[in-house]
Amino acid sequence: MSNTRKKQWRWPIAPETVRSVLSSHSVLGLAFAGIIYLVCLTGSIAVFAPDLQRLEVPAAPVATALSDQATARALTAGAKQAPAGTALYLTMPTAAKEGASLIAYSPTFERTWAIAQDGTLVPLEANWTEFLIGLHVNLHLPKSWGAFIVGLTGVALLSSLVSGVLAHPRIVRDAFHLRLGGSRRLQEADWHNRLGVWALPFHFTLALTGALLGLSTLIVAVLSLLLYRGDMGKVYELFLDPPPPVDARAAPLPDLAALIAKARAAAPQAQPQQLILERPGRADMRLTIHGGRPRLLVQQDEAKFDAGGKLVEQEGPEDHALGTQMLGGIGQLHFGWFGGLAVRIAYGLLGLALCAVTSTGVTIWLSRRRDRGRPAPQWERIWAAVCWGQPTMLAATALIAFFAPTAPLTALWLGLTVVSIAAAALVRGVDGMRQARVWRVVLAALMLALAVLYMGRAIV
Amino acid sequence: MTSALAIVAASLVLVAGGALGAFALRKSWLRRGSAALGLVVGGWIVLLGLPIIAGLLFGAVKGPALAIVMQGIGALCVIWFGRVRRKAGRVRTGDIAPEPLEEPGRFWRGVLRTLLAGPLGMTAAMAVAFCVTVYLPGDPRTRIVVGGLLMPVLWGLAMTWTLADRRLLRATAVLVGTSIAGFGLAALGAALGVSA
Repeated sequence: MSNTRKKQWRWPIAPETVRSVLSSHSVLGLAFAGIIYLVCLTGSIAVFAPDLQRLEVPAAPVATALSDQATARALTAGAKQAPAGTALYLTMPTAAKEGASLIAYSPTFERTWAIAQDGTLVPLEANWTEFLIGLHVNLHLPKSWGAFIVGLTGVALLSSLVSGVLAHPRIVRDAFHLRLGGSRRLQEADWHNRLGVWALPFHFTLALTGALLGLSTLIVAVLSLLLYRGDMGKVYELFLDPPPPVDARAAPLPDLAALIAKARAAAPQAQPQQLILERPGRADMRLTIHGGRPRLLVQQDEAKFDAGGKLVEQEGPEDHALGTQMLGGIGQLHFGWFGGLAVRIAYGLLGLALCAVTSTGVTIWLSRRRDRGRPAPQWERIWAAVCWGQPTMLAATALIAFFAPTAPLTALWLGLTVVSIAAAALVRGVDGMRQARVWRVVLAALMLALAVLYMGRAIV
Repeated sequence: MTSALAIVAASLVLVAGGALGAFALRKSWLRRGSAALGLVVGGWIVLLGLPIIAGLLFGAVKGPALAIVMQGIGALCVIWFGRVRRKAGRVRTGDIAPEPLEEPGRFWRGVLRTLLAGPLGMTAAMAVAFCVTVYLPGDPRTRIVVGGLLMPVLWGLAMTWTLADRRLLRATAVLVGTSIAGFGLAALGAALGVSA
């Protein structure tokens, strides 16, 4: 007997296994929801760090180009203002990022300046932006621990993305469904699945690069135990240049503008994008000029000069191992630094989509409990305080930073977060939905106030 | 230098391309019964072809990275414009998604699962990743970065598996075995100078 019905394609995983994987997806998502949400939210805003810095410090100039003379002037001025032994990191304006900046860094000293078109330095202390980046990178915990927790969050996100796909037998059947209204749980599930599936390649990239950045210290530590008897320096040496031999005698700075011109001439296809001046004013000074090429994600041209102005080393893309190039690209891909404002906006939008995926995941679980007659009103209130409370807290800290730029923002954020979550857990009279509505109104009011204040100050 | 304007123009084209590809696939999806092979093939050609073209124009990594982001936004626009209103209270049988498996909560199973998905999963993932680092041919920097990238992926897979697998002893045995074998082999390779 011939079978005229077409064979239907079936999900290759047994229904029972799908339910097990869905259970794993649910457990992991719920365990990490708060921290994934916070890291994604701060990351989505931190993508705009260069723009936020400008809003915070409107007096800071935004150079669209920097001549070699102006670059040399900025480095010389920075060397004079920083204590001896401080390294200077100068970033030049590029198509992907307007504005030039100079960072002076040593274990005991750190200062940032914006560089004007003529090389003049203007302090660029954007405290709120720094607070936001710190929250994203290490949750303001001790550096290694904070980074590890964020890395672990990246792994949990990766795992959730994998289990989310495996536990989605209707991935093709529902690929274009976005059904709003009706059952809240089904509406949230449609949002969760559509945002999760169509932005999956981006979210996977973000989770993987974030996990690696967060776990890098741990990976290096264990690898060094295995290969180099615990000497982590040996692993870092593979990727970083060794410092020049020590010679603390005083020596004047060479003609820096001429050295930049030399670097340009040595690699005409590349454009100098970052300069690192180590030990300025000493005989063991070193100037490293990193150049970028339009089609490359990472700067791969490098010219090194000594205190006498001699070109001691020059490298191009062909001299770098694939691993070094990959390592450089991880940060670029994670933070969206490679394509200017258009890419930053896209990263911001898809980052918010990931926040929505996380939030709807929790809401689906809460709705399912409610549908089954086992509501969790306390968790509904707490999630409202996290989901809408956290953006509100960030907006509140930005408002405080406007009036008191040196306020202890981390402590304020932590205090407000603890109070809001404790209040949500304890106040039984107002349900989660109504609390979420209140949070949204407060958030909208704060955003409006921030727009008026920061934009107004920038225009004035 | 790739001008900012070129990136903006390419971004717009890629958003439109993502929308076009998703639109073609959606058209085919709407015609459930009838064959719409042309739309399916066309949609996928657009979605997979644009990152390749972007790679040729903007660089092998930069172009596809730009395409992944912009096409995702274009496709989500198609989803948004194709949204429908569902009538309140009307839930069809076909709308119901699979339910997660619910097991009676036992404290020690929870603790063991946490240990398996957390520290033990991490150790096993590291063991395999470092084996790759030690035995993979090529420059040590490339091997370290490849191993580093593998580690979170393997840990994530271990998390998914251990949280989904109800046979905890089997998961424990596999993870412990992988950790011992992986670290043992990696240490042996390091001692024999395979990684040098």
